[in-house]
Amino acid sequence: MDFDWDTEQQGFRSTVRAFLAAHLPADWEELAHGPGSEAQSAFSKKFCAELAKAGLLVPHWPQRWGGRDADPWTAFILAEEMWAAGEPRGGQYMNVNWIGPTLMRFGSEEQQQRYIPAMAHGETIWCQGFSEPEAGSDLASLRTRAEKHGDSYRINGQKIWTSYAGHADTCFLLARTSPGRNGISIFLLPMTTPGITVRQIPSVIGEGDIHEVFFDEVEAPASAMLGGEGQGWEVVRTALSLERVGIPRFALAARMLSRSVARLQGDGRFGHGAIEQAARARAACEAARLYSYNIVDQRCHGIPTGPEASAARFATVMAERLVGEFVVEHMPDALAGGDPLLLAHHQRAIVAGIASGAAEIQLNLIATDLLRLPREPR
Amino acid sequence: MDFTLTSDQEAAFSAIDKLAAQFDSRPTDFHGFALEGQELDRQLEDGQYFDIAAIPEYGPVTAALAVERLARSPYTVESALSMLVRPQLAGEWPRPLALVENGRPGRFVASAKTLLILEGGRIGAAKPPAEALESVESLFAYPMGRLKQAVEVTWFSESEAAILRIWLRTALAAEASGLLHAAIASTVEHLSVRKQFGRPLGTFQALRHRLAECAVLAGGVRWLALKAAATADPGDAALAALHAQESATRVVYDVHQMLAAMGMTLEHPLHLWTYRLKALLSELGGRGGQASAVARHCFGTALDQ
Ligand SMILES: Cc1cc2nc3c(=O)[nH]c(=O)nc-3n(C[C@H](O)[C@H](O)[C@H](O)COP(=O)(O)OP(=O)(O)OC[C@H]3O[C@@H](n4cnc5c(N)ncnc54)[C@H](O)[C@@H]3O)c2cc1C
Repeated sequence: MDFDWDTEQQGFRSTVRAFLAAHLPADWEELAHGPGSEAQSAFSKKFCAELAKAGLLVPHWPQRWGGRDADPWTAFILAEEMWAAGEPRGGQYMNVNWIGPTLMRFGSEEQQQRYIPAMAHGETIWCQGFSEPEAGSDLASLRTRAEKHGDSYRINGQKIWTSYAGHADTCFLLARTSPGRNGISIFLLPMTTPGITVRQIPSVIGEGDIHEVFFDEVEAPASAMLGGEGQGWEVVRTALSLERVGIPRFALAARMLSRSVARLQGDGRFGHGAIEQAARARAACEAARLYSYNIVDQRCHGIPTGPEASAARFATVMAERLVGEFVVEHMPDALAGGDPLLLAHHQRAIVAGIASGAAEIQLNLIATDLLRLPREPR
Repeated sequence: MDFTLTSDQEAAFSAIDKLAAQFDSRPTDFHGFALEGQELDRQLEDGQYFDIAAIPEYGPVTAALAVERLARSPYTVESALSMLVRPQLAGEWPRPLALVENGRPGRFVASAKTLLILEGGRIGAAKPPAEALESVESLFAYPMGRLKQAVEVTWFSESEAAILRIWLRTALAAEASGLLHAAIASTVEHLSVRKQFGRPLGTFQALRHRLAECAVLAGGVRWLALKAAATADPGDAALAALHAQESATRVVYDVHQMLAAMGMTLEHPLHLWTYRLKALLSELGGRGGQASAVARHCFGTALDQ
């Protein structure tokens, strides 16, 4: 067992940090607030294009698609540094982590040619149309319908909580082509398709983050379907398994904790209550980091990821919770104009146990698949 | 020991309850952060309710009940300091009141006629000119404001400050109790109506037990706040404020998990109570500050203050 980085990994991390230092504008921390805002979306396109030129957007992708087949550690170090910086890639992190790789695996030649190069060049934003008003944790109950009419599908229904939808070019959409789990299909749909309407939902988590997306008699050619009809559930499971470790949230949490502690120390306010809480939060961040590293390590060794991925995700939720609570209790000005990056972190931390699947569902998976407890009766 | 209200207290509370009930539903088109209850405030002024603690038949317990009740409304008014702390101030100090702790932005500061200034171990009061104050945008669902420039402060003696600390803690706990109860009620409603996997969310034990624990915590905060208002004991007040902040930390997390994405919207009212609770978490030194006071007043160990 070795808890140290090798020289190549250290070098890669320094390269990424140097890139960030050179390319983030002086007012980046103000921009970081509101992950789907107009300003950040515009910035993320410029930034990702530069990342791509420097070979730092998709290093873990195959050469054929603009990568260099780098190992999972490279991808994870990159993700850690980006998230810790406030995620200047905006919604494009999804392209890099799972949308691109899913298209490489399941896409038709035409779909691959149409979408993957734009992702590899950092020029395009996607949104993920999964959740619906009545289908949150119970995603399989989704109702948005896609009915076949000759050579095309007619789509009617509604998505909700869709991040980045306001500025997205394409939607990775789940729709129902017949009843049941095996009746879900995926469509790759340009957001400019007639019949799609987007409404932003005002929220506590910043401008431009979550939306409702309405589909009213939207015509999609059969060629827009990813994989076969009814293959949607299987594709999504594979896609999400590519992202099992999830976002390295602990990296920004740990950074924000250190920043808060430094401020308190400077003001002579790092007293006994704060010290104990900060220590606990720090330990939770480190636990989450190691849990996540374990998953990356397994992937490097070709070990299929099991329920430990859920444990890693929940450990991350705990870390976000403790850091978030620490900041609210000891640095409340952060939520009142005092520090835009602490605010941006707060707004991301509060959804750690909600976005991309509620924490309680992870706990159910841990109970069933890791502890092997009998299932709850349905 | 007798936990029933006197008929006078009962009558006063039910009048306030009736008044507050007109403000129990939120305008559906409100999508901001701080929903202020100017009209509620005006009606409370008209009924002279802000002064009930000083009336012997009612006393601070009725005032604490009133603060607790008013905090359940989606509309916020500055009631806690007016009703529970102002009666303890020697001299003429007009309401609304606000607390400025170590120069930080505070609730209702921008519209305050009297500021209570907490600096290090000292407490003072000031009547700030309007130009010394400014509002601050924030996520906290109170109108937040800050003191821009130095103002003339009347500093209180050690013993006066000690009494004010008791009432500041009691006021915080009473306000928190109302907010906790409202946040939990809103969550109960959501879990009763929303279905996933073909059943109401409220039938999942993973949520039932947690929400039931939240309810027990909130009930405890309420009793502690009422006792502190009745005894004016520094230990009781410290326990009430500590239990309030400790419970709020936990309940805010749990209820937001249970509402999930819906709780993140400004279209659902949950944030009005949870983001007020968050504003209370840092006050009076946070849990560490309350724990020090408990150490001193309940265990006889002197820490910072
Ligand atoms: C910031 C943000 C961004 C998002 N972005 C996207 C996006 O881009 N695309 C997209 O499709 N979706 C997105 N989502 C939606 C997200 O995937 C859902 O919020 C999540 O799946 C939970 O669904 P829900 O909010 O409907 O909660 P619900 O499913 O209603 O759950 C409410 C509560 O009930 C609990 N619960 C549910 N079932 C059970 C059970 N069986 N046992 C115990 N407890 C249970 C949950 O854990 C939760 O605590 C986003 C959400 C947020 C907050």
